[in-house]
Amino acid sequence: MPSPTPVLAVENITKTYGIRTILDGVSLSINRGEIKVLIGPSGAGKSTLLQSINFLIQPDSGTVALEGQTINPHDKKALCAYRQQVGMIFQDFNLFDHLTALGNVEIGLIRVKHMIKNEARDRAVTELERVGLKQHTAHYPAQLSGGQKQRVSIARALAMEPKVMLLDEPTSALDPELIGEVHSVISKLGEAGMTMMLATHQIGFARHLAHEMIFMENGRIVEQGPPDVILDGAARQRTREFCSRISGAGEKR
Amino acid sequence: MTELVYIGEEVLPALLRGLWISLILILPSSVLGFAAGVLVGALRVYGAAGFRWLANAYVLIFRGFPLIIQLYIWYFGLPRIGIYMSPYGASVMGFVLCSAAYHSEYIRGALLSIRHGQMLAAQSIGLNRLQTVLYVIMPQAFRRALPGCGNEIIYLIKYSSLAYMVTCIELTGEGKILASASFKYIEVFMIIGAIYLGMVSIATWLLSMLENHLTIPGFERYRT
Repeated sequence: MPSPTPVLAVENITKTYGIRTILDGVSLSINRGEIKVLIGPSGAGKSTLLQSINFLIQPDSGTVALEGQTINPHDKKALCAYRQQVGMIFQDFNLFDHLTALGNVEIGLIRVKHMIKNEARDRAVTELERVGLKQHTAHYPAQLSGGQKQRVSIARALAMEPKVMLLDEPTSALDPELIGEVHSVISKLGEAGMTMMLATHQIGFARHLAHEMIFMENGRIVEQGPPDVILDGAARQRTREFCSRISGAGEKR
Repeated sequence: MTELVYIGEEVLPALLRGLWISLILILPSSVLGFAAGVLVGALRVYGAAGFRWLANAYVLIFRGFPLIIQLYIWYFGLPRIGIYMSPYGASVMGFVLCSAAYHSEYIRGALLSIRHGQMLAAQSIGLNRLQTVLYVIMPQAFRRALPGCGNEIIYLIKYSSLAYMVTCIELTGEGKILASASFKYIEVFMIIGAIYLGMVSIATWLLSMLENHLTIPGFERYRT
Protein backbone atom coordinates (compact mmCIF):
# COMPACT_ATOMS: atom_id res chain seq x y z
CA MET A 1 0.00 0.00 0.00
CA PRO A 2 1.45 3.39 -0.91
CA SER A 3 1.71 5.73 2.05
CA PRO A 4 -0.32 8.87 1.37
CA THR A 5 0.17 12.08 3.33
CA PRO A 6 -1.48 11.48 6.67
CA VAL A 7 -4.50 13.67 7.47
CA LEU A 8 -2.93 14.48 10.78
CA ALA A 9 0.65 14.01 11.89
CA VAL A 10 1.79 14.70 15.42
CA GLU A 11 5.51 14.87 15.97
CA ASN A 12 7.26 14.59 19.30
CA ILE A 13 4.78 16.51 21.46
CA THR A 14 5.81 17.24 25.03
CA LYS A 15 3.96 18.96 27.83
CA THR A 16 5.00 19.48 31.42
CA TYR A 17 3.19 21.14 34.29
CA GLY A 18 5.80 22.16 36.85
CA ILE A 19 7.83 19.02 37.48
CA ARG A 20 5.15 16.67 36.16
CA THR A 21 5.66 15.47 32.63
CA ILE A 22 2.25 14.82 31.09
CA LEU A 23 3.35 14.16 27.52
CA ASP A 24 6.82 12.87 26.92
CA GLY A 25 7.56 13.02 23.21
CA VAL A 26 4.43 11.57 21.62
CA SER A 27 4.37 11.04 17.86
CA LEU A 28 1.59 9.54 15.80
CA SER A 29 -0.15 9.99 12.53
CA ILE A 30 -3.51 9.07 11.12
CA ASN A 31 -4.53 8.50 7.52
CA ARG A 32 -7.81 9.34 5.86
CA GLY A 33 -10.61 7.11 7.06
CA GLU A 34 -8.55 5.58 9.82
CA ILE A 35 -9.84 5.19 13.36
CA LYS A 36 -7.31 5.10 16.16
CA VAL A 37 -8.26 4.47 19.76
CA LEU A 38 -6.19 5.67 22.68
CA ILE A 39 -6.34 3.49 25.77
CA GLY A 40 -4.45 3.62 29.01
CA PRO A 41 -4.87 4.37 32.70
CA SER A 42 -6.17 7.72 33.95
CA GLY A 43 -3.38 10.26 33.93
CA ALA A 44 -1.66 8.59 30.99
CA GLY A 45 -1.96 11.81 28.99
CA LYS A 46 -4.73 10.81 26.57
CA SER A 47 -6.82 13.93 27.15
CA THR A 48 -3.81 16.20 27.16
CA LEU A 49 -2.65 14.68 23.89
CA LEU A 50 -6.03 15.20 22.21
CA GLN A 51 -6.28 18.77 23.47
CA SER A 52 -2.70 19.49 22.43
CA ILE A 53 -3.50 18.37 18.91
CA ASN A 54 -5.78 21.35 18.37
CA PHE A 55 -3.83 23.57 20.74
CA LEU A 56 -6.53 23.90 23.37
CA ILE A 57 -3.52 23.02 25.49
CA GLN A 58 -0.36 24.64 24.25
CA PRO A 59 2.30 21.92 23.99
CA ASP A 60 5.82 22.81 25.14
CA SER A 61 7.36 21.43 22.01
CA GLY A 62 6.54 19.33 19.00
CA THR A 63 4.63 19.93 15.82
CA VAL A 64 1.23 19.13 14.42
CA ALA A 65 0.58 18.99 10.70
CA LEU A 66 -2.76 18.79 8.92
CA GLU A 67 -2.46 17.25 5.45
CA GLY A 68 1.24 18.01 5.44
CA GLN A 69 0.86 21.63 6.53
CA THR A 70 2.55 22.33 9.84
CA ILE A 71 0.38 24.46 12.08
CA ASN A 72 1.81 27.60 13.63
CA PRO A 73 -0.20 28.00 16.84
CA HIS A 74 0.90 31.62 17.20
CA ASP A 75 -0.76 32.62 13.94
CA LYS A 76 -4.23 33.15 15.36
CA LYS A 77 -6.05 33.24 12.04
CA ALA A 78 -4.40 30.07 10.85
CA LEU A 79 -5.12 28.42 14.19
CA CYS A 80 -8.85 29.22 13.97
CA ALA A 81 -8.93 27.95 10.40
CA TYR A 82 -7.18 24.77 11.50
CA ARG A 83 -9.46 24.16 14.47
CA GLN A 84 -12.51 24.24 12.20
CA GLN A 85 -11.07 21.26 10.39
CA VAL A 86 -10.45 19.28 13.54
CA GLY A 87 -13.68 18.39 15.33
CA MET A 88 -13.39 18.00 19.08
CA ILE A 89 -15.75 16.08 21.33
CA PHE A 90 -15.39 16.54 25.07
CA GLN A 91 -16.04 14.21 27.95
CA ASP A 92 -18.49 16.64 29.54
CA PHE A 93 -20.07 17.83 26.26
CA ASN A 94 -19.44 21.54 26.79
CA LEU A 95 -22.57 22.60 24.98
CA PHE A 96 -23.21 26.33 25.13
CA ASP A 97 -25.78 26.47 27.91
CA HIS A 98 -27.51 29.64 26.70
CA LEU A 99 -28.25 28.31 23.21
CA THR A 100 -30.73 25.72 21.97
CA ALA A 101 -29.51 22.54 20.31
CA LEU A 102 -30.01 24.34 17.01
CA GLY A 103 -28.18 27.42 18.26
CA ASN A 104 -25.25 25.30 19.38
CA VAL A 105 -24.85 23.87 15.91
CA GLU A 106 -25.57 27.15 14.11
CA ILE A 107 -23.13 29.37 15.95
CA GLY A 108 -20.04 28.06 14.21
CA LEU A 109 -21.75 28.19 10.83
CA ILE A 110 -22.79 31.81 11.32
CA ARG A 111 -19.80 33.23 13.17
CA VAL A 112 -16.97 31.17 11.72
CA LYS A 113 -18.20 30.09 8.30
CA HIS A 114 -20.20 33.31 7.86
CA MET A 115 -23.19 31.49 6.43
CA ILE A 116 -26.41 33.46 6.15
CA LYS A 117 -28.99 32.70 8.81
CA ASN A 118 -31.37 30.55 6.74
CA GLU A 119 -28.62 28.51 5.21
CA ALA A 120 -27.04 27.93 8.61
CA ARG A 121 -30.37 26.87 10.04
CA ASP A 122 -31.02 24.32 7.31
CA ARG A 123 -27.53 22.95 7.66
CA ALA A 124 -27.82 22.74 11.45
CA VAL A 125 -31.16 20.93 11.23
CA THR A 126 -29.63 18.45 8.82
CA GLU A 127 -26.76 17.77 11.20
CA LEU A 128 -29.13 17.31 14.14
CA GLU A 129 -31.23 14.91 12.07
CA ARG A 130 -28.10 12.94 11.33
CA VAL A 131 -27.57 12.30 15.03
CA GLY A 132 -31.27 11.54 15.57
CA LEU A 133 -32.28 14.75 17.32
CA LYS A 134 -34.74 16.26 14.89
CA GLN A 135 -37.35 16.56 17.64
CA HIS A 136 -34.99 18.37 19.97
CA THR A 137 -33.73 21.29 17.90
CA ALA A 138 -35.51 23.85 20.09
CA HIS A 139 -34.41 22.35 23.40
CA TYR A 140 -31.74 23.87 25.59
CA PRO A 141 -28.88 21.76 26.96
CA ALA A 142 -30.44 21.69 30.43
CA GLN A 143 -33.52 20.04 28.89
CA LEU A 144 -31.57 17.24 27.22
CA SER A 145 -30.24 13.94 28.55
CA GLY A 146 -26.52 13.32 28.65
CA GLY A 147 -26.64 11.15 25.55
CA GLN A 148 -28.61 13.78 23.67
CA LYS A 149 -26.17 16.49 24.74
CA GLN A 150 -23.23 14.50 23.46
CA ARG A 151 -25.02 13.91 20.17
CA VAL A 152 -25.65 17.66 19.84
CA SER A 153 -21.98 18.25 20.44
CA ILE A 154 -21.15 15.75 17.69
CA ALA A 155 -23.54 17.57 15.37
CA ARG A 156 -21.91 20.87 16.30
CA ALA A 157 -18.50 19.50 15.37
CA LEU A 158 -19.74 17.84 12.17
CA ALA A 159 -21.36 21.03 10.95
CA MET A 160 -17.90 22.51 10.55
CA GLU A 161 -17.05 19.70 8.10
CA PRO A 162 -13.95 18.53 9.94
CA LYS A 163 -11.30 16.42 8.25
CA VAL A 164 -10.63 14.57 11.46
CA MET A 165 -12.48 14.18 14.73
CA LEU A 166 -10.89 13.95 18.16
CA LEU A 167 -13.11 12.35 20.76
CA ASP A 168 -12.03 12.62 24.37
CA GLU A 169 -13.83 9.89 26.34
CA PRO A 170 -17.16 10.81 24.76
CA THR A 171 -19.21 8.41 26.86
CA SER A 172 -17.45 8.37 30.21
CA ALA A 173 -19.82 10.93 31.75
CA LEU A 174 -22.92 9.02 30.62
CA ASP A 175 -25.27 6.58 32.31
CA PRO A 176 -24.68 3.06 31.00
CA GLU A 177 -28.03 3.03 29.24
CA LEU A 178 -27.26 6.22 27.33
CA ILE A 179 -23.86 5.10 26.10
CA GLY A 180 -25.32 3.03 23.29
CA GLU A 181 -26.95 5.92 21.45
CA VAL A 182 -23.67 7.83 21.37
CA HIS A 183 -21.68 4.76 20.36
CA SER A 184 -24.03 4.10 17.48
CA VAL A 185 -23.59 7.67 16.20
CA ILE A 186 -19.82 7.29 16.40
CA SER A 187 -19.94 3.90 14.67
CA LYS A 188 -22.01 5.37 11.85
CA LEU A 189 -19.49 8.15 11.46
CA GLY A 190 -16.76 5.58 11.19
CA GLU A 191 -18.70 3.63 8.57
CA ALA A 192 -19.14 6.85 6.62
CA GLY A 193 -15.37 7.15 6.48
CA MET A 194 -14.68 9.80 9.10
CA THR A 195 -11.12 9.91 10.32
CA MET A 196 -11.20 9.68 14.10
CA MET A 197 -8.96 9.58 17.11
CA LEU A 198 -10.80 8.43 20.20
CA ALA A 199 -9.79 8.10 23.82
CA THR A 200 -12.04 5.69 25.69
CA HIS A 201 -12.30 3.17 28.48
CA GLN A 202 -15.07 1.31 26.61
CA ILE A 203 -12.78 -1.42 25.41
CA GLY A 204 -15.48 -3.60 23.86
CA PHE A 205 -16.68 -0.74 21.72
CA ALA A 206 -13.14 0.26 20.88
CA ARG A 207 -12.24 -3.23 19.71
CA HIS A 208 -14.98 -3.20 17.11
CA LEU A 209 -14.37 0.36 16.01
CA ALA A 210 -10.62 0.74 15.95
CA HIS A 211 -8.26 0.07 13.10
CA GLU A 212 -5.44 0.60 15.51
CA MET A 213 -5.15 0.78 19.25
CA ILE A 214 -2.60 2.88 21.04
CA PHE A 215 -1.74 2.08 24.62
CA MET A 216 -0.43 5.09 26.52
CA GLU A 217 1.09 5.39 29.94
CA ASN A 218 3.04 8.13 31.73
CA GLY A 219 2.85 10.42 28.75
CA ARG A 220 4.30 7.94 26.27
CA ILE A 221 2.98 5.56 23.70
CA VAL A 222 3.87 2.16 25.08
CA GLU A 223 2.56 0.07 22.26
CA GLN A 224 0.32 0.28 19.23
CA GLY A 225 -1.20 -2.19 16.85
CA PRO A 226 -4.42 -3.84 15.68
CA PRO A 227 -6.98 -4.15 18.49
CA ASP A 228 -6.90 -7.94 18.64
CA VAL A 229 -3.16 -7.92 19.05
CA ILE A 230 -3.10 -5.21 21.70
CA LEU A 231 -5.99 -6.65 23.66
CA ASP A 232 -5.21 -10.34 23.42
CA GLY A 233 -1.54 -10.68 22.70
CA ALA A 234 0.31 -7.50 23.47
CA ALA A 235 4.07 -7.70 23.22
CA ARG A 236 4.68 -5.69 26.36
CA GLN A 237 4.02 -6.86 29.85
CA ARG A 238 2.49 -3.54 30.93
CA THR A 239 -0.03 -3.51 28.09
CA ARG A 240 -1.08 -7.07 28.91
CA GLU A 241 -1.53 -6.15 32.58
CA PHE A 242 -3.71 -3.18 31.72
CA CYS A 243 -5.82 -5.10 29.23
CA SER A 244 -6.36 -8.03 31.56
CA ARG A 245 -7.47 -5.74 34.34
CA ILE A 246 -10.17 -3.89 32.42
CA SER A 247 -13.35 -5.91 32.44
CA GLY A 248 -15.37 -6.79 29.38
CA ALA A 249 -12.60 -6.50 26.83
CA GLY A 250 -15.11 -7.71 24.25
CA GLU A 251 -14.99 -10.84 22.15
CA LYS A 252 -12.44 -11.41 19.52
CA ARG A 253 -13.74 -10.53 16.09
CA MET B 1 -56.17 73.31 53.82
CA THR B 2 -53.22 75.65 53.50
CA GLU B 3 -51.08 72.51 53.63
CA LEU B 4 -52.75 71.18 50.51
CA VAL B 5 -52.42 74.47 48.68
CA TYR B 6 -48.76 74.63 49.65
CA ILE B 7 -48.20 71.09 48.42
CA GLY B 8 -50.20 71.58 45.23
CA GLU B 9 -48.78 74.93 44.22
CA GLU B 10 -45.22 74.83 45.42
CA VAL B 11 -44.10 71.32 46.35
CA LEU B 12 -45.44 69.31 43.43
CA PRO B 13 -44.23 71.53 40.57
CA ALA B 14 -40.77 71.76 42.14
CA LEU B 15 -40.58 68.05 42.81
CA LEU B 16 -41.75 67.17 39.31
CA ARG B 17 -39.03 69.40 37.92
CA GLY B 18 -36.54 67.69 40.23
CA LEU B 19 -37.83 64.23 39.37
CA TRP B 20 -37.33 64.94 35.67
CA ILE B 21 -33.71 65.99 36.29
CA SER B 22 -33.18 62.90 38.46
CA LEU B 23 -34.50 60.68 35.69
CA ILE B 24 -32.28 62.21 33.03
CA LEU B 25 -29.36 61.75 35.40
CA ILE B 26 -30.18 58.14 36.24
CA LEU B 27 -31.14 56.71 32.85
CA PRO B 28 -28.00 57.54 30.84
CA SER B 29 -25.76 56.98 33.87
CA SER B 30 -27.09 53.48 34.45
CA VAL B 31 -26.89 52.47 30.78
CA LEU B 32 -23.44 53.96 30.16
CA GLY B 33 -22.17 52.82 33.55
CA PHE B 34 -23.25 49.27 32.85
CA ALA B 35 -21.76 49.29 29.35
CA ALA B 36 -18.45 50.66 30.64
CA GLY B 37 -18.56 48.14 33.49
CA VAL B 38 -18.90 45.25 31.03
CA LEU B 39 -15.90 46.53 29.11
CA VAL B 40 -13.78 47.06 32.22
CA GLY B 41 -14.84 43.71 33.69
CA ALA B 42 -13.96 41.91 30.45
CA LEU B 43 -10.59 43.66 30.30
CA ARG B 44 -9.86 42.65 33.87
CA VAL B 45 -10.44 39.00 33.03
CA TYR B 46 -9.41 38.63 29.38
CA GLY B 47 -7.35 41.73 28.66
CA ALA B 48 -3.65 41.75 27.89
CA ALA B 49 -1.49 42.35 30.97
CA GLY B 50 -1.22 46.12 30.40
CA PHE B 51 -4.97 46.60 29.97
CA ARG B 52 -5.67 44.40 32.96
CA TRP B 53 -3.37 46.49 35.10
CA LEU B 54 -4.97 49.72 33.91
CA ALA B 55 -8.48 48.42 34.51
CA ASN B 56 -7.58 47.24 37.99
CA ALA B 57 -6.04 50.60 38.83
CA TYR B 58 -9.16 52.33 37.54
CA VAL B 59 -11.40 50.21 39.76
CA LEU B 60 -9.18 50.74 42.77
CA ILE B 61 -9.32 54.52 42.40
CA PHE B 62 -12.99 54.87 41.53
CA ARG B 63 -14.14 52.54 44.25
CA GLY B 64 -11.68 54.05 46.66
CA PHE B 65 -12.50 57.75 46.33
CA PRO B 66 -15.82 58.73 47.89
CA LEU B 67 -18.26 59.58 45.12
CA ILE B 68 -18.86 63.06 46.47
CA ILE B 69 -15.12 63.75 46.26
CA GLN B 70 -15.12 62.53 42.66
CA LEU B 71 -17.98 64.90 41.83
CA TYR B 72 -16.18 67.80 43.52
CA ILE B 73 -13.08 67.04 41.50
CA TRP B 74 -14.98 66.93 38.20
CA TYR B 75 -16.97 70.05 38.87
CA PHE B 76 -14.83 72.25 41.09
CA GLY B 77 -11.40 70.81 40.42
CA LEU B 78 -11.18 70.46 36.65
CA PRO B 79 -11.70 74.19 35.97
CA ARG B 80 -8.25 74.64 37.56
CA ILE B 81 -6.78 72.91 34.52
CA GLY B 82 -9.11 74.69 32.15
CA ILE B 83 -11.82 72.05 31.78
CA TYR B 84 -15.26 73.37 32.53
CA MET B 85 -18.18 70.99 32.87
CA SER B 86 -21.85 71.72 33.38
CA PRO B 87 -23.30 70.53 36.70
CA TYR B 88 -25.28 67.96 34.76
CA GLY B 89 -22.26 66.80 32.71
CA ALA B 90 -20.03 66.51 35.75
CA SER B 91 -22.70 64.51 37.59
CA VAL B 92 -23.32 62.04 34.76
CA MET B 93 -19.61 61.56 34.26
CA GLY B 94 -19.08 60.98 37.98
CA PHE B 95 -21.94 58.47 38.15
CA VAL B 96 -20.87 56.59 35.03
CA LEU B 97 -17.25 56.26 36.12
CA CYS B 98 -18.15 55.23 39.64
CA SER B 99 -20.87 52.73 38.80
CA ALA B 100 -18.75 51.21 36.01
CA ALA B 101 -16.12 50.33 38.61
CA TYR B 102 -18.72 48.48 40.69
CA HIS B 103 -20.39 46.85 37.67
CA SER B 104 -17.01 45.58 36.51
CA GLU B 105 -16.66 43.62 39.71
CA TYR B 106 -20.01 41.84 39.22
CA ILE B 107 -19.13 41.16 35.60
CA ARG B 108 -15.68 39.88 36.54
CA GLY B 109 -17.17 37.48 39.07
CA ALA B 110 -19.68 36.23 36.53
CA LEU B 111 -17.06 35.79 33.80
CA LEU B 112 -14.89 33.76 36.16
CA SER B 113 -17.82 31.53 37.05
CA ILE B 114 -18.30 30.30 33.47
CA ARG B 115 -16.79 26.84 33.12
CA HIS B 116 -13.54 26.68 31.20
CA GLY B 117 -15.05 24.01 28.97
CA GLN B 118 -17.29 26.63 27.33
CA MET B 119 -14.18 28.46 26.19
CA LEU B 120 -12.54 25.24 24.96
CA ALA B 121 -15.63 24.22 23.02
CA ALA B 122 -15.92 27.64 21.40
CA GLN B 123 -12.29 27.61 20.36
CA SER B 124 -12.56 24.05 19.10
CA ILE B 125 -15.10 25.09 16.44
CA GLY B 126 -12.86 27.92 15.30
CA LEU B 127 -14.23 30.95 17.13
CA ASN B 128 -11.48 33.42 17.94
CA ARG B 129 -10.98 34.84 21.40
CA LEU B 130 -13.09 37.94 20.89
CA GLN B 131 -15.95 35.96 19.33
CA THR B 132 -15.75 33.45 22.17
CA VAL B 133 -16.11 36.17 24.77
CA LEU B 134 -18.82 38.02 22.83
CA TYR B 135 -21.02 35.15 21.75
CA VAL B 136 -20.40 32.40 24.27
CA ILE B 137 -19.02 33.67 27.56
CA MET B 138 -20.59 37.12 27.89
CA PRO B 139 -24.21 36.10 27.21
CA GLN B 140 -23.96 33.56 30.02
CA ALA B 141 -21.99 35.82 32.35
CA PHE B 142 -24.44 38.66 31.74
CA ARG B 143 -27.25 36.56 33.14
CA ARG B 144 -25.26 35.67 36.22
CA ALA B 145 -24.18 39.26 36.79
CA LEU B 146 -27.69 40.65 36.44
CA PRO B 147 -28.77 40.48 40.09
CA GLY B 148 -25.59 42.22 41.19
CA CYS B 149 -25.68 44.80 38.42
CA GLY B 150 -29.33 45.46 39.21
CA ASN B 151 -28.30 46.14 42.76
CA GLU B 152 -25.78 48.70 41.54
CA ILE B 153 -28.42 50.40 39.38
CA ILE B 154 -30.76 50.63 42.35
CA TYR B 155 -27.97 52.09 44.39
CA LEU B 156 -27.31 54.60 41.58
CA ILE B 157 -30.91 55.79 41.75
CA LYS B 158 -30.23 56.91 45.28
CA TYR B 159 -26.72 58.23 44.95
CA SER B 160 -27.92 60.37 42.03
CA SER B 161 -29.09 62.63 44.87
CA LEU B 162 -25.45 63.69 45.30
CA ALA B 163 -25.73 65.70 42.07
CA TYR B 164 -27.21 68.61 43.94
CA MET B 165 -23.90 68.98 45.79
CA VAL B 166 -22.41 70.12 42.47
CA THR B 167 -25.42 72.37 41.83
CA CYS B 168 -27.28 70.03 39.53
CA ILE B 169 -30.63 70.59 41.18
CA GLU B 170 -32.47 67.30 40.96
CA LEU B 171 -35.14 65.81 43.21
CA THR B 172 -33.23 66.04 46.48
CA GLY B 173 -31.91 69.50 45.61
CA GLU B 174 -35.39 70.85 44.91
CA GLY B 175 -36.54 69.30 48.18
CA LYS B 176 -33.74 70.93 50.10
CA ILE B 177 -34.65 74.34 48.68
CA LEU B 178 -38.34 73.84 49.46
CA ALA B 179 -37.69 72.62 52.95
CA SER B 180 -35.27 75.41 53.81
CA ALA B 181 -37.82 77.98 52.71
CA SER B 182 -40.80 76.51 54.52
CA PHE B 183 -39.17 74.55 57.33
CA LYS B 184 -41.52 71.69 56.47
CA TYR B 185 -38.67 69.18 56.46
CA ILE B 186 -40.72 66.16 57.48
CA GLU B 187 -43.39 66.64 54.84
CA VAL B 188 -41.04 67.43 52.00
CA PHE B 189 -38.49 64.72 52.71
CA MET B 190 -41.15 62.07 53.35
CA ILE B 191 -42.58 62.81 49.91
CA ILE B 192 -39.12 62.71 48.35
CA GLY B 193 -38.30 59.46 50.11
CA ALA B 194 -41.53 57.99 48.76
CA ILE B 195 -40.63 59.09 45.24
CA TYR B 196 -37.24 57.35 45.46
CA LEU B 197 -38.99 54.30 46.85
CA GLY B 198 -41.30 54.42 43.83
CA MET B 199 -38.38 54.65 41.39
CA VAL B 200 -36.58 51.81 43.12
CA SER B 201 -39.74 49.68 43.06
CA ILE B 202 -40.17 50.24 39.33
CA ALA B 203 -36.49 49.45 38.70
CA THR B 204 -36.76 46.30 40.80
CA TRP B 205 -39.80 45.21 38.83
CA LEU B 206 -38.16 45.94 35.47
CA LEU B 207 -35.02 44.07 36.50
CA SER B 208 -36.94 41.02 37.60
CA MET B 209 -38.86 41.06 34.31
CA LEU B 210 -35.54 41.16 32.48
CA GLU B 211 -34.17 38.34 34.63
CA ASN B 212 -37.22 36.19 33.93
CA HIS B 213 -37.05 37.01 30.26
CA LEU B 214 -33.42 35.92 30.09
CA THR B 215 -33.81 32.74 32.10
CA ILE B 216 -32.49 29.79 30.15
CA PRO B 217 -35.12 27.04 29.85
CA GLY B 218 -34.20 24.05 31.95
CA PHE B 219 -32.59 26.23 34.60
CA GLU B 220 -35.80 27.71 35.97
CA ARG B 221 -36.24 24.82 38.37
CA TYR B 222 -33.49 26.37 40.47
CA ARG B 223 -35.66 29.45 40.92
CA THR B 224 -38.56 29.75 43.29
